[in-house]
Amino acid sequence: MTLPVWRTEWLTALRRRRLLLLNTLIPLAFVAPIALSSAPAVHAAAAFTVLFALFGTFGSSIPLIRDDESGLLRRYMLTGVHPGGLLLQRVFATAALDLMELAPSVLVIAAARGSSASQLAIVVPAIVLGLLAANTLGALTAALAKSVAEGALFSALLALLLLHWAGTFRTPVPGTWQATLEAWNPFRPLHESLLAAAGASGPDLDPALLTAPTGVTLAVLLLLTIAGRYTIGLGGR
Amino acid sequence: MFGATELSFTYPSGRKGLGKISLKGGPGDRVIVMGPNGSGKSTLLRLVSTELPSRPGMLKLFGEACGPSRRDFHRRRDLRKRIGIVQDTPVHLEDLTGMENGLLFAELYGLSRTEASGAFAALFTSLGLDDALHVPTREYSYGMKKKLLIAEALVHDPNLLIMDEPALGLDPPSRAVLLRILEERSGKGVCVLAATNEPALAQELATTVVLLYEGEVVAHGSPAELLAKVGSATRIEMHVAGSRPASLTTTDPAFAGLPADIVSIQNLPGRIIAESSSGPDVLPQLAGAVLATGLKIERVEIREPDLTDVFTLFTGQALGTEKEKP
Repeated sequence: MTLPVWRTEWLTALRRRRLLLLNTLIPLAFVAPIALSSAPAVHAAAAFTVLFALFGTFGSSIPLIRDDESGLLRRYMLTGVHPGGLLLQRVFATAALDLMELAPSVLVIAAARGSSASQLAIVVPAIVLGLLAANTLGALTAALAKSVAEGALFSALLALLLLHWAGTFRTPVPGTWQATLEAWNPFRPLHESLLAAAGASGPDLDPALLTAPTGVTLAVLLLLTIAGRYTIGLGGR
Repeated sequence: MFGATELSFTYPSGRKGLGKISLKGGPGDRVIVMGPNGSGKSTLLRLVSTELPSRPGMLKLFGEACGPSRRDFHRRRDLRKRIGIVQDTPVHLEDLTGMENGLLFAELYGLSRTEASGAFAALFTSLGLDDALHVPTREYSYGMKKKLLIAEALVHDPNLLIMDEPALGLDPPSRAVLLRILEERSGKGVCVLAATNEPALAQELATTVVLLYEGEVVAHGSPAELLAKVGSATRIEMHVAGSRPASLTTTDPAFAGLPADIVSIQNLPGRIIAESSSGPDVLPQLAGAVLATGLKIERVEIREPDLTDVFTLFTGQALGTEKEKP
């Protein structure tokens, strides 16, 4: 199976070395002072979660909108490629690139806050899931936006709303609909695991925390594949 | 290969893109669409390439109906793999080299990298892109990008080639190579549908020329058939400045006494075109008459009739100028 779009995303990212370096250093410059400070875990984790989620969402939506504006997506579509498959390749590629660029930041958090191996064992898949969800959200917001500015606005709004429902800013009251929603939210494991990694006291995280959000993310990805033709390029054609 | 019946398109602003155009192209045909800016050439190409939906109207590609409906989505995808498209503006991934861009599009068309590499090597050599194969396309000139786009459109051996201004930006040797390639492909049964404003290109390449004006077909036929409509008189084309008397024709008193060899005078925005049955000998008298009307002559061209004259015959407008506003 050839994955030309996946390969192209990587090739392009590796060619833009300055941007790659900035994408690695800027999150690090944001994360390191907080991780190394005595900021309470709850505040530090909220900051990290917002950064990681927005990093993924913006990094997915803005290039898609730019490629649509330049006519590149139309060119892709006119080769007969399946738009859903194209979107999937892009989402997975950009999520993997985000993971590579954020890895030094995660290592700094773990080192500065003394995260245990068991905590890291949850942090890594939770970040993978969070970035995948963020990139999927970015692809969806790109479909709604008619310009890069709109894309940034929609991405920020939707990501912050989902982060709020994930309990990033405020723990929902048990038994309410917000609490039910939180359990299925793909950003919840990201927040919970970063909270643990940032040094919050409490019981070890249960890996089952990942199950429902993973299901939701995969379902949205499947929908994105099916609906891909309406979300990029030729508007359903 | 393609058959369009009453293809129509209206832009979201309400501007008419195309109104009920019917045309077809079979294996080996080279259909060239000509018309001024905004006449609907690119819209027609985008409709036939399935990029734009035609409502109403019907498009058949390779014998299969290809409507804009959602249920035809998968059929459209399959049909697109049999089309090669050269858009008027080359769009590439600027950080990637010419070969990397080419391989990406070849793989999207379903070719393996090995197949594509071989095909590109031959195409790049023909088009004179060998030296730039491993250079990022951001360092390419417009003409090089156009050549790359042409190579990408040809690499998967499409049955139908749709090309918008294919020779625009190409130097004369590359233009000659493009013509040779298109003639070769056409000889193998490939149908070419291209839009251009170059009468020479259309005359050299076309088996059928379609003249478009304001979204409608005003004339079509082989270049020879169309040229026969305008006769063989030499054209003396004067590009003029100044306020133009509306009545300036052969019957204008200013032109009384001109040699009878001047068989007609067309009074177009910014230019006056006279037809002379005795070649350019009548130029001094004609220039004198035009100057006498108060117009200033900026440039004079003497040429044999071409497809622009056919366009003028049918529309009263010069090809290459915007429509004259009343």
